[in-house]
Amino acid sequence: MSESIIQTHGLDFYFKDFKALDQINLDVPQGSIFGFLGPNGAGKTTTIRVLLDLFHSKPGQVKLFGKALLQNKVEILGRVGALIENPSIYKHLSGRQNLEVIRKMVDVPKERVDEVLKIVRLVENADKKAKNYSLGMCQRLGLASALLTDPDLLILDEPTNGLDPSGIIEMRELILDLNQKHGKTIFLSSHILSEIEKLATDVAIIDQGKILYQGKLEGLQQADGAIELVIEVDRVSEAAEILKALNYTISEQNGRSIHLPIPDKREVSKINKALVDKNLDVYQLKTSEQNLESIFLNITKKLDQ
Amino acid sequence: MNAAIALKRGISAELYKYKRTFILWFLIIGPAFIPVINFIIFMSRGTEVMAEGGNPWQKLLGFSIDPGNFLFPFFVMIVALFVNSIEHNSNTWKLIYTQPLSRVTVYASKVKIFVLMVFMSLMLFGIFSVLAGEIVGMLQPELGFDQAFDKSLFFSLPFKVFLCTMGYASIQFWMSQRWRNLILPLGIGIGGFISFMIVSQGWKYAIYHPYGYQILGLGNLNDPEFQVWANMEYVYRSLGLALLIYLLAGIDKVRKRII
Repeated sequence: MSESIIQTHGLDFYFKDFKALDQINLDVPQGSIFGFLGPNGAGKTTTIRVLLDLFHSKPGQVKLFGKALLQNKVEILGRVGALIENPSIYKHLSGRQNLEVIRKMVDVPKERVDEVLKIVRLVENADKKAKNYSLGMCQRLGLASALLTDPDLLILDEPTNGLDPSGIIEMRELILDLNQKHGKTIFLSSHILSEIEKLATDVAIIDQGKILYQGKLEGLQQADGAIELVIEVDRVSEAAEILKALNYTISEQNGRSIHLPIPDKREVSKINKALVDKNLDVYQLKTSEQNLESIFLNITKKLDQ
Repeated sequence: MNAAIALKRGISAELYKYKRTFILWFLIIGPAFIPVINFIIFMSRGTEVMAEGGNPWQKLLGFSIDPGNFLFPFFVMIVALFVNSIEHNSNTWKLIYTQPLSRVTVYASKVKIFVLMVFMSLMLFGIFSVLAGEIVGMLQPELGFDQAFDKSLFFSLPFKVFLCTMGYASIQFWMSQRWRNLILPLGIGIGGFISFMIVSQGWKYAIYHPYGYQILGLGNLNDPEFQVWANMEYVYRSLGLALLIYLLAGIDKVRKRII
């Protein structure tokens, strides 16, 4: 099943003269957890607001469930649950009453409130005033109100932002659960890479309003599948000179070690020999697959150059 | 989906969210303010007030409507602030505008609730005023509250105030919807009201000043020729202005980016 749930075609968006989104072509397959990754200010939230028609796109730029957003907005929004940035919660009402406000707007049976409270594990605190909620509880309440209509697509903007580690784990479990047990497509934005790495099946990387990569998560890791070598030696700067003479690029150098990308493991012995020949003491040679973080930094850095 | 059903949903959600808010109390206590003071005046110094004789109900009507008409704009400004700041403060504009209802529906629900609040509080004001008179009449029969009087005036006059208020109320509503800042709409509103007070001293265009329709439209209660439904041009001006402003504010909300 690879029907597209979200499709954008050449989506541009301006704030006055500032081009916030530049030719965004997203394609979110059904049933995926789609990680939307980018540094702060890259255009993630803007994209999400456009997808929900809080910011108006131009006709034909955005399709959800294969239908044009602008013409079918009410129907489409009935199938989408959204959690955008900071939680939207009436602080003077209890969690249950907050859901009741939204329930009245979307017209689902009263029992649904209890069901979503159970899904987000907020039953015990449902009747507490929302102003006494922790940030994690606020995020879960926001998720609960997004779930009221039992939507096919969830759009979550930085759902783990500001949560403590246990809150993050809980949110992650919830998202996986919703995707796997309830079959929901999830569009998830984040600037936390490890978060996306653990959840997403598909990713898009955005920076300065442009999509830099889009596809499967594994594809991203293979695309830039270089190995990183960490060398610990006694005289670091001298070692760096030697390596530079051998045409290696050093990505990081500090008082104790040198980091450099190498195309192949066979390079390790070459490097070792070169260093030993110059009478340097090599304490450690450590290789590691590049993680998403360095791939991400590489991709977003490329644009600056 | 039927537009009427959608609007009903919007309104019932809108009503529900004021549960346990200060504004609900404000809508009840506000209209009780002047009747309670009048009650105290008649109870403590009733004989002095009625020294010239006449119908105490007429006196009470004047004591109620005139100060009420003066204070009411401030009440309206605060209500307009409240119905919008509840969304500003909880970051819920984006929540209510991502529900499966059209933007027009969500906007119209809020306008309706606001208008309803203004209307209800004026009717409450009428009820409280009559109640004050009746209770004083029971406790101090010598003041003459048993005389015949057309008490419908306690409701028709506030209703006229309501109609004349719609104009500037719509301006207050638009400003409060647009700006997160509380001081700005309040400042402009108070400025508008005071500027009317100044220009009404003699400027010939003062009759078009939207913050003065309810004062000019009501006329002088003590005039023997006084008629409730005279000076209707102010009612029409107010309603026309309200229609225009709500339309513009609606277009504004439908087109605007919601943060």
